[in-house]
Amino acid sequence: MTAGPSATVTNPPQRPGDAGGADRAAAAFERRVGPGRELAGRAGEIANAAHAMAVRFHQGGKLVVFGIGGAAADAQHVAVEFVHPVIVGKRALPAISLTSDAATVTGVAAHEGLASVFSHQIRYLGEPADIALGIALEENCPSVVGGLRTGSDLGMLTVALVAGTGSAVEGQRLDHLLAAGSADPLIVKEIHVSTYHLLWELVHVFFEQPGVLGPGIMT
Amino acid sequence: MTRVPKPSDHLWPPSARPASPGSVESLYPFIYQGATDVTAVLAQARASTIAKANEVMDLRAEVGARSGEALARCAAEAAARFAAGGRLLTFGNGGSATDAQQLATLFLYPAGRDPMPLPAIGLASDPAVLTSLSNDIGVDVVFARQIAAFGRPGDIALGLSTSGNSENLLRAFDEASRRGLVTIGIAGYDGGKMAELDGLDYLFIAPSESIHRIQEAQTTMYHVLWELIVAELGSRQVRA
Repeated sequence: MTAGPSATVTNPPQRPGDAGGADRAAAAFERRVGPGRELAGRAGEIANAAHAMAVRFHQGGKLVVFGIGGAAADAQHVAVEFVHPVIVGKRALPAISLTSDAATVTGVAAHEGLASVFSHQIRYLGEPADIALGIALEENCPSVVGGLRTGSDLGMLTVALVAGTGSAVEGQRLDHLLAAGSADPLIVKEIHVSTYHLLWELVHVFFEQPGVLGPGIMT
Repeated sequence: MTRVPKPSDHLWPPSARPASPGSVESLYPFIYQGATDVTAVLAQARASTIAKANEVMDLRAEVGARSGEALARCAAEAAARFAAGGRLLTFGNGGSATDAQQLATLFLYPAGRDPMPLPAIGLASDPAVLTSLSNDIGVDVVFARQIAAFGRPGDIALGLSTSGNSENLLRAFDEASRRGLVTIGIAGYDGGKMAELDGLDYLFIAPSESIHRIQEAQTTMYHVLWELIVAELGSRQVRA
């Protein structure tokens, strides 16, 4: 068959209430418009964060990514994005997710508390040249903030993707704070996905321009 | 119609993947023309970022207009299955594996929200299962075998792929369809091989050539699907 746009392969019979569902769907997509527009307004902050990340990679650093709940899946998405790029010819860059080792995550959470799950791992896996990227679907996630604080203590570059305006984590010594401009966790995640895709794209843009990264050790 | 080979999110080495139009060079032509001044490069990066943000907004709007009604029909059928004791099984490769995981946790533990938790299992979340099936048989069966093990006739199978061509998804949909699960595909480009599957009940496509923009619009689609399913279940309770 020929694939039509957004093809529905089968069409179940219309039933009462379908119009309500379609209206709900339209309203749901409409709720995404405002936050999507705000993302464009943060282009400068995203470009600055990507540039700083590229400098760290250039200096031999790795990316350490973490998040709680749905953002744990995002952390793994970011790690695979950098390690195994979807665009041909792009080099693999070192990135690890701190959410993938269920044994360590549950072990630390049980004995030290959930707030320590990332800070513990960063204390032993992080190095000064690295980047700590914390992803939160809320404005102030204690586990993510704890990880970023430990990363900062080690000298790592800290980048936070959070919900809302980000005002709740101001003053946390974050080098780059990228707020999603929405409090709805679903929309926050959608903005975060675009944000980290853009960070990946821009890191490669900067990384392939060594003149803009200063002295480095990675060739 | 003539099918143009599409970049794939699962084929590697990537001999089949064209370097354009999705390549970074094609996205940022000015930068690759030799600018090395930091300020100028940052300015170009800002401009490109604004263009990308607008691109995904346009794609979301297109997907909403084209798929809204079908998403509502799909949600009604999924809600009926959940109400009858059905479960959701989700699967995908790479970034789409993390989408499968997000979907499973969204249904199973809608944190901080009113809706009831619903049973959902991510089939890409257990490295022991994935590596044993890959090592012993092959990556093509990693989801189909799990559907054979877990799937029941009233369940819902949902697979995500940017290319629509992932062999292990095609096999999973076949297995699910054979067992009476309702099958839902989320793809990009023109739907790839998923658009040719007889057994796929619903297919939602993010029509873009950029893997990143496809994934972003797909995220919105499956979030909206969840919103519609819980709304449908809510109105069922009110009616009951």
